[in-house]
Amino acid sequence: MIDLIHVTKRFGDAVAVDDISLSVARGELCVLVGTSGCGKSTTLRMINRLIEHSEGEIHIDGQQIRDFREEHLRRRMGYAIQSTGLFPHWTVARNIGLVPRLLKWPAARVRARVEELMGLLGLSMAEFADKYPHQLSGGQAQRVGVARALAADPDILLMDEPFGALDPLTREGLQEELRALQGRLEKTIVFVTHDMDEALRLADHLVVMHQGRIKQQGRPLELLREPADAFVESLLGGEDRGLKEAALLPVSQRMLPLGPRLLARERIGQQASLREALSLMLWRHAERLTVVDDDDLPVGELSLRRLVGARSDD
Amino acid sequence: MPAERPRHNVVLLSLSLVGLLVWLTLDTVSVAPNRIVPGTAHGLAASLGWAGALVSALPLLALAALSRRPTPAALLLALGLTVLMLAALPLWLSLAAHRLVDPGAAGARLGVGAGVWLLLFLLLMLLVELRGRLALSRLAGVALLALPLAVLGLCLSRWLAPLALWQEFQGRRDQFLGAVLEHLALVGAAVGASLVLGVAAALAMRRWQAAQRIGFGMLNVLQTIPSIALFGLLLAPLAWLSAHVDWLAALGVSGIGAAPALLALVGYSLLPMVRNTFVALEAVDPGVIDAARGMGMSRGQVFRQVRLPLALPVILEGVRITTVQAIGLTAVAALIGAGGLGTFIFQGLGQAAMDLVLLGALPILALALVADALLGALTDTLRPGGAA
Amino acid sequence: MTEARRLAVPLGWVALLLAATLGMGQLEGLFRLLEPDSRQVIYARADFLTLLGRHLTVVGVAAVLAVLIGVGAAIAVTRPRGRDFLPLVSQLASMGQTFPPVAVLALAVPVLGFGTLPIIVALLLYGLLPIVRNTLAGILGIDPSVREAARGMGMSSGQILRQVELPLAAPVILAGIRTSVTISIATAAIGATVGASNLGDPIISGIVNGNTAYVIQGALLIGLLAISVDSLFSRLPSPGGR
Repeated sequence: MIDLIHVTKRFGDAVAVDDISLSVARGELCVLVGTSGCGKSTTLRMINRLIEHSEGEIHIDGQQIRDFREEHLRRRMGYAIQSTGLFPHWTVARNIGLVPRLLKWPAARVRARVEELMGLLGLSMAEFADKYPHQLSGGQAQRVGVARALAADPDILLMDEPFGALDPLTREGLQEELRALQGRLEKTIVFVTHDMDEALRLADHLVVMHQGRIKQQGRPLELLREPADAFVESLLGGEDRGLKEAALLPVSQRMLPLGPRLLARERIGQQASLREALSLMLWRHAERLTVVDDDDLPVGELSLRRLVGARSDD
Repeated sequence: MPAERPRHNVVLLSLSLVGLLVWLTLDTVSVAPNRIVPGTAHGLAASLGWAGALVSALPLLALAALSRRPTPAALLLALGLTVLMLAALPLWLSLAAHRLVDPGAAGARLGVGAGVWLLLFLLLMLLVELRGRLALSRLAGVALLALPLAVLGLCLSRWLAPLALWQEFQGRRDQFLGAVLEHLALVGAAVGASLVLGVAAALAMRRWQAAQRIGFGMLNVLQTIPSIALFGLLLAPLAWLSAHVDWLAALGVSGIGAAPALLALVGYSLLPMVRNTFVALEAVDPGVIDAARGMGMSRGQVFRQVRLPLALPVILEGVRITTVQAIGLTAVAALIGAGGLGTFIFQGLGQAAMDLVLLGALPILALALVADALLGALTDTLRPGGAA
Repeated sequence: MTEARRLAVPLGWVALLLAATLGMGQLEGLFRLLEPDSRQVIYARADFLTLLGRHLTVVGVAAVLAVLIGVGAAIAVTRPRGRDFLPLVSQLASMGQTFPPVAVLALAVPVLGFGTLPIIVALLLYGLLPIVRNTLAGILGIDPSVREAARGMGMSSGQILRQVELPLAAPVILAGIRTSVTISIATAAIGATVGASNLGDPIISGIVNGNTAYVIQGALLIGLLAISVDSLFSRLPSPGGR
């Protein structure tokens, strides 16, 4: 869907992005992660030509992005940024309808689409449609920002630290919603963040960048288990790596079928992460947990031994 | 993209080319046999000859060439050239006076033409532009003018006797000095009085909310009324007072003259003064005030040691605005007989003597610029942590 | 607030201005008290309505030109192509405001001669400054992320200017125009000394002839005019939800 082939960006003599190659498959959520100044935002902004790349090629669906008119290219992609960039003089509804109107959709269709999106992002039409951005909380404004990015139903969504300025609770809520949305809408998303927990939680495809280069890319678990070098390892959490990995694995992967023994008193859902399971064990001083399904029926059990068990068990 | 901008400096290029155009095509000087008769205009060739005119265009061409590769060194060179051209203007004017004005004709005078005024303006714009590009300080900008001003002084004392503006000045040397002093006295008195009243009013407004709305409302309306109208409206009541209250008349209060001028000037000065003082005191970071009180400072200590010092630069900004505004308004006050430099402007307009108008207008301009620069520099030094 | 109530105050001032303009003659008795010795106490070289009309014309022409040129120039230097001129123009606009309007008016006369034209030119030149400065402040003061988002959404530069930058900068630009017009009304009155015939005329001729009544008539009308116009500006609707 999106291919970057030996792409380089120079600002004057400074090299911001140095010969990177990257492929994002259709429907994939690709997260670019790295410290500030590593070139991740520049890379993102080269995809919709807010910044022109200096060398190499960028393709969308096999077509060079320079073959499109800038504005037309951008109207095909959603774009959401940390500071939302909502137009302060427009209402929420008008903000969301921006790109459809640029694409000259008929008014009725724009209105219907705005209503649909507000529903999708949990914004009540009656309450929010006529509000102005300065009347929204940070989380609400960010929802509007995402709705605006999705408005013309683009295949591609570019997101530049969209949740960076939110409090942890709101952020986690929106991360979950984004995952759910992506599961349903099958967008191809490129997401930039400096928060490794966010990156691990969201990514199908994780790209670690440093000083303008791609240090390592692959599935989050691969990176966690086999970091290419000390830098990636430290960025991935160093001593906390075990916990970060546990956070990515569901209980269902390690549980054993119900045995003949009595059920353990503490219960945990099978979709919960191993990290949550470990936390529960520590808190309750329990060595065994009963794993339950969505209807709270026991489906298996998880022991501390299994939880920390050998990888060959996967 | 900022990084991919054209490398040449378009501003430098266009200013130098426009300068070249006006310098070579417009009238540069005019010569009149006396004060009444309008002068004969001359182009550049009259004073320098064709060859000389072309040679005199070389520095401007050099500037245009320098704009192609604006390295810091090239910009510095351009700045040097600009200063030298400014310094050369009075010398050229002396030459023109020598060649074009008949030394035998006693009343003959030399007027400066549109080409020279425009070139002067363009050169000053170049100075502003180059100073900005080279990130030189305000002070450095002023220092750059020292050489041209010194040359101008030299030329005036030696060779520029026929310059019409200079003749007007020579004819009114004492009057001029008196007018400058009157002007400064009026401005000083108005700014001083409004500073005291303004700070008092701002403090009162901080204490009583009601005073805020009414006070600002009244001052806003006052500020809107044109100065000439306000002077006029004060005329009648003050004339009546001086006619009926003896001690006021003894103080010199009357419908025309300094009294209505000062009253109106103080009125106009109050709004910027009160507004800046009020905003300055209100805008101090509440966190700082909170911390100060948390450390156990008393209300008075907080005000004197924290709020006031932090507000001072903004209050001074008010003084700057007020002063510059008062310098201009005092010129209008000359209409009602308050004296000052405006007198020359209105006399000159009345007699259609344009150089007399300039004798009033140019010093007013200079006063405003100097006051602005001085108070601006003072504000910068008072700002905690130096210039922002 | 309904439209009528919003405009009540400015319309009140305008009504007062018109009443004073048309009814000045009725106040002859009052002015007679002020100037018992003068042969004439009501300024009569031209009727006040004509003077008011000329005053408004001069200010209006200068203001329209100043808005067109000033806003245009400020837009031009904030586009990528004109960006090189931005530092110079913004410095000139703020330095220029140090110049007293009277001095600018006085300097226009030697170049352009007496009459209405130099006044319009002087008002235009001086009136440009607050408009340029405020338009620049308005456009440059827009949160960069808003412009970034607009570009990222695929708006063309023309669309960004018309739909985002200008509407957001409008309140600041309007404030600049208001300042500009207020100064113009005052400066135009002083223009009576360089041969323009407007509401400044009665004042000047009153001062010259020592007739306080004339002075007050002119001053009253100019003051009312300035307050009316300013009051109208203050009630202009401002776009956006703030």
